[in-house]
Amino acid sequence: MDQSVAVQDSLKEDENCIVAAQCQFFVNDVIESRLVSLVECKSEYGIFLFTHRRMAITKDDISLDKVVPITKDCTIEEVLSEFPVLGADMTVRITSDSVFLELQLPFSSHSQRFLDETCKACHGVDMSEDPCPQFLWLSKYLPKSALASDSEKKGAFIPTAAFKGIETEASDNKRKTGTATVNGKSQVSEETKQNIQNISDNNAVRDGKVKPEVNNDMVRSSSYTVANKAQMLAMPQFELRDNLIKCELLKREESYTFTKNYRFFVGTYNVNGQSPKESLLPWLKGGIEPPDIYLVGFQELDLSKEAFIFSDTPKEQEWSKAVYEGLHPESKYAMIKVIRLVGIMLLFYVKKELAEYISAIEAEYVGTGIMGRMGNKGAVGIRFNFHNSSLCIVNCHLAAHTEEYERRNQDFRDICSRLTFRSFDPVLPNLPIMKHETVLWFGDLNYRISDVDVEQVKKLIDERDFKTLYKYDQLKKQMEEKAVFDGFTEGELTFQPTYKYDTGSDQWDTSEKCRTPAWCDRILWKGKSVKQLQYSSHLSLKTSDHKPVSSIFEIGIKVVNEELYKKTFEEIVRSLDKMENECIPSVSLSEREFYFKDVKYMQRQVQTFTIYNDGQVPCQFQFIQKLEEPAYCKPWLTAQPCKGFVAQGAKLEIELEVFVNKTTATKLTSQEEKLEDILILHLERGKDYFVPISGNYLPSCFGSSLQALCYMREPIQDMPPEHIQQFTLMPLHPQTEPSNTLEKQLDIPKEVWMLVEHLYRNACHQADLFQQPGLRTEFEEIRDCLDTGMPDSLPGSNHSVAEALLLFLDALPEPVICYSHYHKSLDSSGSYTQCKQAISTLPQCHKNVFNYLMAFLRELLKYFMFNNLDRSTLASIFGSLLLRPPPGIKQDATQKKKVQEFIEHFISKQEDVS
Amino acid sequence: MAKKTYDLLFKLLLIGDSGVGKTCVLFRFSDDAFNTTFISTIGIDFKIKTVELQGKKIKLQIWDTAGQERFHTITTSYYRGAMGIMLVYDITNAKSFENISKWLRNIDEHANEDVERMLLGNKCDMEEKRVVPKAKGEQIAREHGIRFFETSAKANINIEKAFLTLAEDILRKTPVKEPNSENVDISSGGGVTGWKSKCCS
Repeated sequence: MDQSVAVQDSLKEDENCIVAAQCQFFVNDVIESRLVSLVECKSEYGIFLFTHRRMAITKDDISLDKVVPITKDCTIEEVLSEFPVLGADMTVRITSDSVFLELQLPFSSHSQRFLDETCKACHGVDMSEDPCPQFLWLSKYLPKSALASDSEKKGAFIPTAAFKGIETEASDNKRKTGTATVNGKSQVSEETKQNIQNISDNNAVRDGKVKPEVNNDMVRSSSYTVANKAQMLAMPQFELRDNLIKCELLKREESYTFTKNYRFFVGTYNVNGQSPKESLLPWLKGGIEPPDIYLVGFQELDLSKEAFIFSDTPKEQEWSKAVYEGLHPESKYAMIKVIRLVGIMLLFYVKKELAEYISAIEAEYVGTGIMGRMGNKGAVGIRFNFHNSSLCIVNCHLAAHTEEYERRNQDFRDICSRLTFRSFDPVLPNLPIMKHETVLWFGDLNYRISDVDVEQVKKLIDERDFKTLYKYDQLKKQMEEKAVFDGFTEGELTFQPTYKYDTGSDQWDTSEKCRTPAWCDRILWKGKSVKQLQYSSHLSLKTSDHKPVSSIFEIGIKVVNEELYKKTFEEIVRSLDKMENECIPSVSLSEREFYFKDVKYMQRQVQTFTIYNDGQVPCQFQFIQKLEEPAYCKPWLTAQPCKGFVAQGAKLEIELEVFVNKTTATKLTSQEEKLEDILILHLERGKDYFVPISGNYLPSCFGSSLQALCYMREPIQDMPPEHIQQFTLMPLHPQTEPSNTLEKQLDIPKEVWMLVEHLYRNACHQADLFQQPGLRTEFEEIRDCLDTGMPDSLPGSNHSVAEALLLFLDALPEPVICYSHYHKSLDSSGSYTQCKQAISTLPQCHKNVFNYLMAFLRELLKYFMFNNLDRSTLASIFGSLLLRPPPGIKQDATQKKKVQEFIEHFISKQEDVS
Repeated sequence: MAKKTYDLLFKLLLIGDSGVGKTCVLFRFSDDAFNTTFISTIGIDFKIKTVELQGKKIKLQIWDTAGQERFHTITTSYYRGAMGIMLVYDITNAKSFENISKWLRNIDEHANEDVERMLLGNKCDMEEKRVVPKAKGEQIAREHGIRFFETSAKANINIEKAFLTLAEDILRKTPVKEPNSENVDISSGGGVTGWKSKCCS
């Protein structure tokens, strides 16, 4: 639903809500709904945030919460999630010098438009040459407190300074003005003036009466010119494309990887705080074939208090060395990583030649000991990628004591939730253990054999009836109940329990406690392509009260075929390029070129064409300015609409209108300018289409100068073009005819004569002459008549002829009383003699026309009984046309009065002035 | 797998007389296709293509411009921002070759100062209609210190090579930040040290 209506309702007249969208906004960790909108005023933009009722319809439903002016230091960006999902919410971050906002917008066209428009506005600000937007219009929305905090910022934020100036108007102004009078010096008073200026501007804004800004007022098209299009296209969507490629690569992984089996050795050994006393080779050799990867875990590496309190222990070095020396002798290994938490240590070796395929290594630990944190119990883990497969290795030491199996289950769950790895990509969340393709989990899990007496256990061991014994294994029971290690597999136990022996022997615990033997030390796995080749313990090692356990796995690893990978990657890039090219907005135009034939003065000509969106995306179009031109088209041309939106497959009709009026006619008649223009139809993020417009203009007496017309004895359209050019471009002769003129000048233009003569003959008795408008169609006939022939009488009603006369005088490039005479004439309005003096210095043809018209007006007044005319009416109508102020000069009431007085002198006297 | 999918964006511009084959050159490069029907480009069009150069993925954004004389004033305003300009003439059209110096002047006046230029003599498959000898193309290129290729969009001669060469020339003067190399963390345990791992993706 479009809620911009409600926002617009709350704004002032000159402020424009471009787009509004509903969004989620975090306030003190609470999500609240807001209406966010982009508001424009005089080419400045602000983001308004409103609290609102569920369906906001009017301004009463919303209340302004925040305003952020879009300044040069303001950035708007979409925060992209790791894998963009079509239809997901979008997060928009707005940051500037003093603001940080993060908004969550639902997936909708409003949201997208908000983002697009805001970015555009932001970009526009960056591009603009203006020194700095003032944001005066925003000041009324900003609370004082916000300004106070803003103004404390460094000077960079100039708009703030402007706000400050306004906000403090009441108090500061008086004071400063006071100072200024005392000092009488420039510095302060200038500033004060500036302030007052600001305030009055601001008040004007409040009243909804805005003084047009000269520089922007003339500009018909708003934001883009051809030149800055270059920058617009340069805004790349790097992240999006990256993520698309990543997704696609992941999807097609099978096409460029193959599975290769690697041999993994996994060992776990609770060393009971001892130092290595014997070779570890029997445990670590792992068969005839050297393993590719070694993952060796220890528990109770050091039981001393020092190890517990200080993390350093010499045992780490000792055991690492022992392990390195016990690795398979036929291969060279590189240590990739070691991680230790008090007594729990994990070593990671790989065959030297395979090391380059190991990447993204992260190691972490979690203590689950006393208080659930201490490191006497817990786990260490290493995650890494081997070729294209991800693996996670966990070595743990869970809670002890037979009856504590629940505690052990709890430890497992704790480790699962707390042991996470920093993600390789900083924007991604941490990786938990279970997110890996293969997990190898081992250690002193401490599950015991229970619910059976120790003698029975030992008997079963002696009988090597491990199957029966396994029935009493706590881990088995807990896994069956899915209380722990859900989804993990363990190989069959074909070796006797690994705990507890008298240290240095193969004898079961003979101490007072006489513990029941147990399979404390275990190796489990999770993952599809894991095959256990061997699972055993090693009785021959006698250093500890545990026996070490080992397992050999054959694990299928996804190996990248570089060639296929490159091929796949290139395919993806190609298809993305293709997609991107196809998504460049594109339209087709029903017509590419326009010719306007025989364009006449003040006669509209319209041609239409259709924009058809033949592309695959909706498109936003706009006619844009050409470099160094003030508008997107010449002043005699308009395109309607000049910007808009076309959906895929949709059509839109554009109307091109040519209309030549007094401002453009003169140069077209003199052929200084032609009916020629090229429109640039710009598609946002897309192509530009050039639309050439041309036509021919039929020269007209309207818009031609009195002098030029005096040279034309023929109707203007019967004149050869070169003569028209010659006469119209000739400089105005001050008084006398030039000697080199080919033809004798007429006293007054025949067109003036025809119009006046017609009125004189027919309209003296016409009621409301010069007060009633004529008909447009009749004007056209009169114009054609004047421009093409010399009939005895003019067509149309008296009113139309009268209006044609006024239009003719209005279109004169140089008024009857020349611009150069304007001030002089006004000054002499008090005295008829001086007025006559002013007229006498006019160029001859101007003087003639003036006198002729005055005589005509005097004649008209004789019939005031019929035509209802009076002196002041005629003086005011004709004064405004004959005695026009030069361009750029404004006429005030007094001057208008003087103009009227000037003319009145002439029409009240009966004598001739020449 | 966390490699960036492209590192740089280069903007290239195709200019030259109407009908010399700018659009076809672009179409051949971007879509590897050729269309014999001539549709005059009346405006500005662009396509993108990602290429790999020196291990860097570079996105080329190639702008195709209207060649007709009456649009020259407008099209020159698109020169700004282009990092490379391909100036195309037709070896079977003497006039298009004569205009080269005018186009080069246009570049001097309107393009960025450090823009990389290249001259292409297109339609080199039409040997029987040739009016501009290859040597003349080479000579004018030499005089202006720019590269030169004779190309054929139709027969797919030198098109890819021309674009890649232009991109390489731009790349050569583009300061590139070295991306962080992803090294495997090796502890000084009992193992072998001193090797590095390639970033695996």
